[in-house]
Amino acid sequence: MESRRFLRTLAGAGATALLPGGGNAARHAPSLRYLRPPGALAEADFLANCIRCGKCGEACPNRCIKYFGLENGLDSLDTPYIVPREQACILCMECGQACPTGALEQLRREAGPIMRSVKMGHARVDQSLCLSYQGKTCGVCYRACPLQDVAIRVGMLEQPQVLAACVGCGLCERSCIQIPQAIRVIPNRDGAPA
Amino acid sequence: MNAADEQPFFLWRHLNRLRWLTLSLVFALLVLLPFLHLYQTYVAAHAYDFLAPGERLIYDAMEWLTGPFTSDPARDLDAIKGTTWSGNFFGLALSDPLALAGHIAASLSLHWAFVLSALIPVVATIIFGRFFCGWICPATFIYELNETFAAWLRRAGVPLGDRRLSKRLKYVVLGAGLVLCAVSGSVIFAAIYPPALVGREIYYAIAQGGFGVGAVFFLLTLLFDLLVARRGFCRYLCPGGALYSLLGRYRLFRIRRIVHNCNDCVKCNVVCEFGLDPMRDGFGQECNNCSACIAVCPVDALTFKVGVRDDPAQGPGHQGSAYRRRRQREDESDTGAAA
Repeated sequence: MESRRFLRTLAGAGATALLPGGGNAARHAPSLRYLRPPGALAEADFLANCIRCGKCGEACPNRCIKYFGLENGLDSLDTPYIVPREQACILCMECGQACPTGALEQLRREAGPIMRSVKMGHARVDQSLCLSYQGKTCGVCYRACPLQDVAIRVGMLEQPQVLAACVGCGLCERSCIQIPQAIRVIPNRDGAPA
Repeated sequence: MNAADEQPFFLWRHLNRLRWLTLSLVFALLVLLPFLHLYQTYVAAHAYDFLAPGERLIYDAMEWLTGPFTSDPARDLDAIKGTTWSGNFFGLALSDPLALAGHIAASLSLHWAFVLSALIPVVATIIFGRFFCGWICPATFIYELNETFAAWLRRAGVPLGDRRLSKRLKYVVLGAGLVLCAVSGSVIFAAIYPPALVGREIYYAIAQGGFGVGAVFFLLTLLFDLLVARRGFCRYLCPGGALYSLLGRYRLFRIRRIVHNCNDCVKCNVVCEFGLDPMRDGFGQECNNCSACIAVCPVDALTFKVGVRDDPAQGPGHQGSAYRRRRQREDESDTGAAA
């Protein structure tokens, strides 16, 4: 009887720590700007489906997928994330192929399916930092983009403009030669728009 | 054949060595795979000239190791990926049944590809019982080494814990875990299930720059085994062990005692990792067919049988002292009656 009461207390404590509300507070901590791998379901679904097997990271040829410890809350423990400034996603879609549970969607490596089903975030240019907007022709982000002229285009002096089709892979942010970077991906964790 | 002459098939007593071989191979594979993954990424990046000396060492070693078998590491080395929690083995996707149970509870849905990947392990468990625990589990590999370490410590006079808790605890852990998965919407088994932890932490340590949180939990379970209960986590707490035990309740292959040969020496009970009672025919659903008891038996009194139930208790072994005493009394009374 004693051990059963102990277990019930333990289960209660665990449930409190793992309640979605508790996770939300940590998830929206302003200091953490991370992306989920491409094709990830909306955050709540993603957390429910991810079995923390680590196969997405093992499939990633670019080694951009890393894993959370406790810094993003208990419910994000061991889930994959990408910090594009450190290493951005090359949209090879290997992680989705490796995911056993569909937490990451299986997608072909073609522009159509990727633009339809991948929405990791959206890049935003800070014009006060961007060299091109300061009169020093650059254009590196445009050249790094895997969806040139579809997700990003450049105007006069290679001034970048991000378009609606941006999937948020972060290769522009990775390649930006300004420090700090003048283009950043604002994460989207609601999955792809229906 | 006379029942009294029955001998176990001679290979059964060597099965324990085969088991150690498979345990070691699985563990070695889990160490090798992250290195192969790193090698693949170096190849994909065409970056040999930019590698640090340590990375170059990995590249050279893995190239030497796999070179004879593949000309396209990016593709061919994908044949074996993942861990025992969920992995790919030459095109075959295999997942831990506990991962499936946790996933269903957390997502309240079925992902059919994932269900199929757990099918082979589930069927194998129904036939062979809790064999995963003794033959494959990478945590068992470490726990059994830990057990050997504990034996040295005991011999050196260090007092260690040897409590007996209720074996039913682990079914409570399994049930409570499933409820918690459903309530939290998160596969929490992944954070406490030792084989998942071991596979993942090895990968983290080699390819992700260091151990994660799970390693701390796993160290705690090792300490629990040392200080509280011998093989305590597997015996009393492991939710996967509980699930496998339930699935393997009516397993076809099980160990049984040949009562004619048994001399009640208790070596089988002492060596049993799961604290079962082979000497009194007490195997039950938690036996993992590890065959350690067969290997240690000095009189060939344990063997395998095919059947969905254990033999009922057969009483003391016929070579044992109780048996010998009774026979002696009977002989004396026989001679007394004759006189």
